[in-house]
Amino acid sequence: MSTDEVESTYFRRTSRWKLIVVLLIIALIVTIIVSLNVGYAQISFTNILAILGKHFPFLNGFVDSSQVLPRDEAIILQIRLPRIVAGVVVGAALAASGVVYQGVFKNPMADSYLLGVSAGAAVGATFSLLFGAGFSFFGLRLVQIAAFAGALLAMFLVYSISRVGSRVPVTTLLLCGIAVNFFLYAIVALLEVIAGDELHAIVFWLIGGFSNVLWSDIWAITPFIVIGTVATYFYARDLNMLALGEDTAQHLGVNVERTKKILLVLASMVTAAAVSLSGLVGFVGLMIPHITRLVIGPDHRILFPTSTIIGAIFLVVCDAIARVVASPFASTLELPVGIITMLAGAPFFILLFRKKKDSYAL
Amino acid sequence: MLRLVLLNVNGVECRYGSVKVIEDVSFSVKEGDFVGILGPNGSGKTTLLKSISRTLKPHKGTILLNEADIYTLKGIDVAKQLAVVPQDTNIGFSFAALDVVLMGRNPHMSRFQIESSKDMAIAKKAMMVTNTWQFAERPINELSGGEKQRVIIARALAQEPAILLLDEPLTHLDIINQLEIMDLVKELCVKEKLIVLAVFHDLNLAARYCTSAIMLKKGKIFAAGGLPEVLTSENIKGVFNVNAIVKKHLVTNSVFVIPLSPQKPPLSKKCAIHLICGAGTGTALMKVLLDEGYSVTAGVLNVLDTDFETAQFLKIPAATEAPFSPITEKTRKTNLAMISKASMIVLTSVPFGHGNIQNLEAAKEALEKGIPVFVLNEVPIESRDFTQGRATALFDDLKAKGATFVKDQTELLSRLNVSEEKLGLAKEGTAKIFNHLKPGEVHKESDITDKHEKSKGGPENQ
Repeated sequence: MSTDEVESTYFRRTSRWKLIVVLLIIALIVTIIVSLNVGYAQISFTNILAILGKHFPFLNGFVDSSQVLPRDEAIILQIRLPRIVAGVVVGAALAASGVVYQGVFKNPMADSYLLGVSAGAAVGATFSLLFGAGFSFFGLRLVQIAAFAGALLAMFLVYSISRVGSRVPVTTLLLCGIAVNFFLYAIVALLEVIAGDELHAIVFWLIGGFSNVLWSDIWAITPFIVIGTVATYFYARDLNMLALGEDTAQHLGVNVERTKKILLVLASMVTAAAVSLSGLVGFVGLMIPHITRLVIGPDHRILFPTSTIIGAIFLVVCDAIARVVASPFASTLELPVGIITMLAGAPFFILLFRKKKDSYAL
Repeated sequence: MLRLVLLNVNGVECRYGSVKVIEDVSFSVKEGDFVGILGPNGSGKTTLLKSISRTLKPHKGTILLNEADIYTLKGIDVAKQLAVVPQDTNIGFSFAALDVVLMGRNPHMSRFQIESSKDMAIAKKAMMVTNTWQFAERPINELSGGEKQRVIIARALAQEPAILLLDEPLTHLDIINQLEIMDLVKELCVKEKLIVLAVFHDLNLAARYCTSAIMLKKGKIFAAGGLPEVLTSENIKGVFNVNAIVKKHLVTNSVFVIPLSPQKPPLSKKCAIHLICGAGTGTALMKVLLDEGYSVTAGVLNVLDTDFETAQFLKIPAATEAPFSPITEKTRKTNLAMISKASMIVLTSVPFGHGNIQNLEAAKEALEKGIPVFVLNEVPIESRDFTQGRATALFDDLKAKGATFVKDQTELLSRLNVSEEKLGLAKEGTAKIFNHLKPGEVHKESDITDKHEKSKGGPENQ
């Protein structure tokens, strides 16, 4: 390849990136509309579009919604759409924070649950399911508040244990995260043992799913995720340099300790918000950044937005599958989406392992 | 525009926990200086670079960049002026080489900026001069160690720094790349008035490129200043505990260093060997024989001859003659006196002319006195006889009189060792004299007798 070609490829890169993001957003919208069609009740695409159009400020003048049954409208707007929007938000949040963790820890095997966020949320949620059912606050149910608080507490616990002076070395963070995770999961296990009737709810929460998501939950949680994700994107270039190593990043002018703190706090906040909405949906935060990096490359300026959108698409698709996959056996049974993501995640791991087997061999 | 770049390091002390790694380090460098940081492992070279690169804040002292403390400046402002090439670079993600080099532009970009064509041009230039542009699009983690290192150097250059810190930058590079990279850095140093601070393990590379040097020993400055003043065999001995020959090279016109193997504990060989050599034929043997534990003398050597210089360096007593002069009667006698004190004579494959044929005669005299003569006959005498056959005749004579002819150094040493064991018992008396003396202390016949007397001497000599 001639040298001029290399340069022009690089200059076209920005517009190529924009194109990729636009295409992915279109793909996300298509996925949303298609998955609105998926479910026990048969609702045609025409009606789905009519219902959506009716509620879109600029489109409602052009839409003929006279054929739409009020029952269908209620199913789409009050049952399916909140689930799907929750899927978009949670999938985006987990993938986004996964990218951040993998970048900061310079390790493609890191995921969004690394720093005790999942275990903290699990302890909070389990406690509230056992002892505080029915309580709510500003439209949020106690289980969500408790999960969010538990996640943030666990993250700060890990963070403050692993701090050495003013520095937070990633190795100690990683080890403390693992230790705190184990400790908190032991508490969850203890609570499960004494749970009795509430065990079913706890298990469902731990697997992760969207079956009871309400609009009010989404309105309360989404701002954390949007703000956290957008703020993180400002640090995309710093993430590139952190991925080269902390010393290198510092030599290139990155304020490493401060940037690391900001990024980890933002990513943990985003994860905490996500799990408080959905429970512990696994593998999205590990797998989506990984796959995206294989296709798009490691540059966080494009990796971060594409991972976020692909995470959203992936979780919406998984949830659609979860809604209908069990229907041949029991027409109204809906699986928690966490089962689907994990069923897809484990084979991915094995595939990855087989592909990179040589580099693991000693 | 004229801007003078200055780096001042004042009384810096760095610790890891409670362990002081560097202590009381002060120096200052100005633009155009190429400073080598030298010292053995663990002497604090890398730590010093870390503290200058803002990675390890000193416990005490300040580091000033143009009179501003680098630890109060913003990281990004320091990065505009100072670039670092670390010891090893392990990049886990598959960034393209060009991406990595473009990251060098980070200090010059604002948060939301994307690389401009100017940034691209600078990165391309940096990659051209480091010979890395041809793999601009290859993933960095698929490059070889040397290629990767050159990309990292390109990244540092893309920062357009005024100061370049290199921490053993050449570890992964083969010799041609070492020279190319150092030539490049040197050129930048001279043309762009860059300050270069580089940690070197290879003293010769340091000698070749640095204008000045800092020698560290156990975290403190042992010597600092212009390179020829710092890189001396005394300092090398003091810091590395290694004997080394330091000379000015005729071709590169820079100082060069030949380290010698660390001194082994002396073996208790009892014999003295006199070496008849010259024209560099005895140089290698001198060190070998000393290492074997023999006392060594040599002669007759012309002053300025390679063998003379080696004998001087190794403090081997020698009968010497003025440069380029035939052996005079006086020197011949000195030589014979030395020969008569030796237990064995070794004759190297030295060429013989009218100026040094006396040396060959001396060997014959030794043989006649009953001192064993070993002839190292690596080159046939006919091809190094410049005396119209006189040397060859003498050579045949030696053979007839029972000199031991050996074909190489290995055979010589084994023959010497066998002979030494036999002689050791027979010449106990002589051996005692030599046991009191270290090599290098024997200069004259009187030395031997005087010291022999002293060692037996009473309390008045103590």
